[in-house]
Amino acid sequence: MVRAGTSTEVRVPSSAPIWLIPPALLGGSAVVALALVPGHLRAAVAWCGAAAVLVVALLAREAVRRGRQLAALRERSAADEAELRRRLAAQEAQAVRLAKELPAAVARLQEGALAEEALSGLVPGVGSAPELEEAHQAVLRSVLEAVEAEEGLRDSAQRAFVNIARRVQAIVHQQSQDLREMEDKHGENPDVFGDLLHLDHGTALIGRLADSIAVLGSARPGRQWQQDVPMFNVLRGAMSRIMDYRRIDLHSVAEFAVVGPAVEPLIHAVAELLDNATRYSPPQTRVHLTAMETQTGVAVEIEDAGIGLTDEARSRAERALAQASAGLDLNDLGETPRLGLAVVGRLSQANDFTVSLRPSAYGGVRAVLTVPQRLLTVTPSPGGQIARAATLPPIRPRPRPMTGPSETPAEELEAAVPRAANGLPQRRRHRAAAPPPARPAGAVPAPSAAGAAATAGPSEPPTEPGMWLAAFQSGVSAEPAAADPMRNGDEATSEGE
Amino acid sequence: MSGGDPPRYQGQGKGQGIEGGPERLYVVTAGRDRAAEPVPLDLVTLIVSRGKPARGMQPEHAAILRMCTRPLSLVEISAYTGLPASTVSVLLTDLVDGGQVETRAPVPAAELPDPKLLEAVMDGLRKL
Repeated sequence: MVRAGTSTEVRVPSSAPIWLIPPALLGGSAVVALALVPGHLRAAVAWCGAAAVLVVALLAREAVRRGRQLAALRERSAADEAELRRRLAAQEAQAVRLAKELPAAVARLQEGALAEEALSGLVPGVGSAPELEEAHQAVLRSVLEAVEAEEGLRDSAQRAFVNIARRVQAIVHQQSQDLREMEDKHGENPDVFGDLLHLDHGTALIGRLADSIAVLGSARPGRQWQQDVPMFNVLRGAMSRIMDYRRIDLHSVAEFAVVGPAVEPLIHAVAELLDNATRYSPPQTRVHLTAMETQTGVAVEIEDAGIGLTDEARSRAERALAQASAGLDLNDLGETPRLGLAVVGRLSQANDFTVSLRPSAYGGVRAVLTVPQRLLTVTPSPGGQIARAATLPPIRPRPRPMTGPSETPAEELEAAVPRAANGLPQRRRHRAAAPPPARPAGAVPAPSAAGAAATAGPSEPPTEPGMWLAAFQSGVSAEPAAADPMRNGDEATSEGE
Repeated sequence: MSGGDPPRYQGQGKGQGIEGGPERLYVVTAGRDRAAEPVPLDLVTLIVSRGKPARGMQPEHAAILRMCTRPLSLVEISAYTGLPASTVSVLLTDLVDGGQVETRAPVPAAELPDPKLLEAVMDGLRKL
């Protein structure tokens, strides 16, 4: 093109005289020929020469005109080409912009913004044709609307899942409570008790599945704990939710408690890791569970003696852990291991746990879940509630509520009651006694009647509320006041306690 | 996004046992519902600990050891710990096997009085 351009430039200024050259040369040679030929041919030659010069002049002129036209055309096409290239570049820029803007807008949409908001946040392109810009906006809008609709659909599917999971959780929770009551009720019958434990275990497994679905639906797992729970109990709670809990050896556990809100996520995450560990190791091997204090918190370690993970499997597992934030993919729900790791990933992300999967010294996998310091407190009772509760009651004898003479030790009774020669207790007359100080005030009709008490002794009803009857009887019989040895003894013991 | 609230945990249940804890009873006894071999333990067998709870012991075992510095019957332990009797008897079997507690025969049930005594009472009553 450049060459063409230069050639036209060279030709253009010299084009005006140029077309005269060929007819001039021809005219010259015609004149020479006219001079050379004999006289009788001169007229014919002159005619021929004139005609030839005319024709050549016409042709030359036409050739030059066409040359000019061609040059103009070339110039125009070059300009057109430049314009097209410019447009193409603009279009390319627009496409690049679309490629940048679309993911950003979709991301904003996924964060919860509406399609309009996501669109308004975009800067309009510079230098592109208005219709192109309009088309660009239209493409963006339609894509965003489609994504929004899809998001909404997924959202509602997720909500439905969570809703179902919540209902299952509620039923399981109720069932667990009922089972616990039944276990208490039938605790003395090993056969029934064993069956109840079996049912309890099955129920816990159902509960874990429901929790998993709830977690994948971006909801909280099961129940919420009001108080802190010791780490030991948290780990045992995790053990109670998996199939093969008998294979787990719970070793040393750091004496920490987990704050209430983090208890359920931690139980669930550890349960999923334990489930993976027991599921992917031979059934006769043990799985070791420990919780150790570290600089940044507590590390819960789960080691199994399975075949371990290949590098590829490990990277896949770590991807599953990391991808957890991408949301619930309903297609994934069918595949158990990925479900478990996705749940762990999701819980870790929400609660700042860190999870790493490394080869274990036993040959299997060593999963370490680190609980950050801010989710831990010092536990008041390392062993858990049961250890605390157990130290309380029986150590020091408490004053028992007075229930009547049946509390009186047998020896005292024997000492107070004289025996006959055949070993039978002997009845005797009673001496006067002061009215018992610790009477229920409302139950006594008149203290003076009691002061004049008579033979109340053996006939006296043994319980406290009946004492008014004794006073009444003594008043009616009007015998001299006598002491009631049994009551004396009774008061002595109740004071002694 | 969460559809409905999860069932809230209703504080502690009756008793102070592991009712409120996250673990279930089968974990406490590692899935055993009864002692592996029959040990003469019934509800009124008295238990006395023969040592102090060691570190790293299962908390239930430690609790029983602490509790039984004075003789306690199995059913009392069950009541104090809030654990069912079967669970307690499995835990006690472990402790008995480890020699950490000693079982004592329960106080014998009151013997029936001598028939002669009853006759004497009858006679005495008739004489009144």
